[in-house]
Amino acid sequence: MKRLNTRLITPQLCAVILLIMLPLVSVLGLMTGPVFIPLSDILSIMLAGDGAANGSNSQEKLIIEIIRLPRVMLSLIVGALLAACGALLQGLFRNPLADPALIGVSAGASVGASSVIVFGSMVNSGGVMLGLSAISMGAFGGAIVASVIIYRLATGPQGTSVATMLLAGIAISALAGAATNTLSYLADNDMLRRISLWQMGNLQGASWERVGLGALTAGCLAVLIPRETGALNAMLLGESEARHLGINVEWLKRRLIIYSALGVAISVAIAGVIAFVGLMVPHLIRLLVGPDHRSLLPLSALAGAILLVAADALARVVIAPAELPVGIVTSLLGAPFFLWLLVLQRGRS
Amino acid sequence: MLKTNSVGLTISAVPLLNNISIDCPRGSVTALMGPNGAGKTSLLKVIAGEHKASQGRVEINGQSREDWKQSEIAKFMAVLPQSSTLEFAFTAQEVVALGRTPHATGLLRDAEIIIGALAKVDASYLAQRSFVQLSGGEKQRVQLARVLAQIWEHCEGDSATDGILLLDEPSAAFDLAHQLMLIEIVQQIAARGVTVVMVMHDLNLAAKCADQMVFMNCGQCTAVGTVKELLTPELIAKVFSVDAEVITHPLQGTPMVVV
Repeated sequence: MKRLNTRLITPQLCAVILLIMLPLVSVLGLMTGPVFIPLSDILSIMLAGDGAANGSNSQEKLIIEIIRLPRVMLSLIVGALLAACGALLQGLFRNPLADPALIGVSAGASVGASSVIVFGSMVNSGGVMLGLSAISMGAFGGAIVASVIIYRLATGPQGTSVATMLLAGIAISALAGAATNTLSYLADNDMLRRISLWQMGNLQGASWERVGLGALTAGCLAVLIPRETGALNAMLLGESEARHLGINVEWLKRRLIIYSALGVAISVAIAGVIAFVGLMVPHLIRLLVGPDHRSLLPLSALAGAILLVAADALARVVIAPAELPVGIVTSLLGAPFFLWLLVLQRGRS
Repeated sequence: MLKTNSVGLTISAVPLLNNISIDCPRGSVTALMGPNGAGKTSLLKVIAGEHKASQGRVEINGQSREDWKQSEIAKFMAVLPQSSTLEFAFTAQEVVALGRTPHATGLLRDAEIIIGALAKVDASYLAQRSFVQLSGGEKQRVQLARVLAQIWEHCEGDSATDGILLLDEPSAAFDLAHQLMLIEIVQQIAARGVTVVMVMHDLNLAAKCADQMVFMNCGQCTAVGTVKELLTPELIAKVFSVDAEVITHPLQGTPMVVV
């Protein structure tokens, strides 16, 4: 097909730019932190393997291997998951203002996760902490319940009402906040520390275990979601239009809710609630290459990964030697962006 | 090709359709007409499969509507709704491309069809424009191109099976020239074997192309027949509560309603 002149760049060019930025930003993420590690050392550590470590280099090697590398990997995965799930939810709701954290899906996930921590260790005699997998299951349950409630409330035959969607999101977030606070009240110190992670997105707890779980989820979704892109495009026309184009809309919606809830739940379980990534990234990509999900979803995942690694690097240097939770950085960027979108929408209607 | 057998529809205890039986043979054009709230769109939605008939059944090619898989029906039946809400900035060309979703004919063939469909509705110049910025009539023309693209092989007469096209007030947003364009397209594809059922308000426009008219009122089918049989002052007064004269078009000889 002919090149579309209403678009700023082609999807191919966008992919090339993002693929060049990805390793650059990742290396930047490895360099920054309380201890600055120069590029040459990172390259020698990454390339040399086990044998070459000596002197001060061995300390840097530990920092990279135990702290920075898992953290950068976790940011990449969580950023990609959140951005792709944001794009998926926006397609499902047929509305570009849906974001997992804004509409309460993330809050639902964090209630699910907190309940598993508190009640799980109450039931488990001796307060043995449950593993990450159980907490993820709790987060998944919470995210599904929240998604279904919001979808039922906000979507009718005429499409989604933004007002209802955002208001339902506020209500669910408030409810989830109350539930999480109650759980915090019941929790002991150790649980409390873990619960507080979910309320403020935080990548400090990065571990290879979390990276593995995130990578597994991202891998599954990367296989499943591309099969839905054609149907997602047709869904943007409207539900009955999609039905007339031969799509089984009810099953499609169920699959989309499960996929997005899974992605959001796992990202909440391993990094807490990080707002606005799912809103900002797909929006920017749509402005650049258009709304076609075949390019929107993979490019959003790439750009989301880049954004979160960069935001996390920023979070580590702004008030160094202390660090900000990365959720604060994305909110600082995202909230004004969201307001700007609202103003644009008001101007249009 | 397309039949409704005593179709009734009741939604949340409100009866919308009652005992509607119409028969649309292959390549015929049927105009559903009647005052607002008569049930025209409801009938179209039952045929399209959006609502399940509460009584009776819809037959497509001699087979009950419910026995068809949606993905199979989409290959030969296209539906143009009254209005559409698309909030995402697809180009007109991309919107038309969505019409090819049910088919796997390949990008090259689809690109040809998209160009052909846009040209057919006089919208080639809109191809690269963002759909959300088009006027109402332009949007409707692009949507018409989308449904034509969906059953393009049938519209071109080079398909082994027969197509069905359902249109809900297709001309409502069109200017005069494009209303006539629509009539021409409908006549052309019907001549190639596509069965067309459309909801229309303009009696004279429908008179130009319909083989069969269906007058509906309060969910009932008041009269079914040819244009000449139905366009009488008595029936028009009964269905539309309007006093009208029916004269003959000086050149084409078709009946014309004058109010």
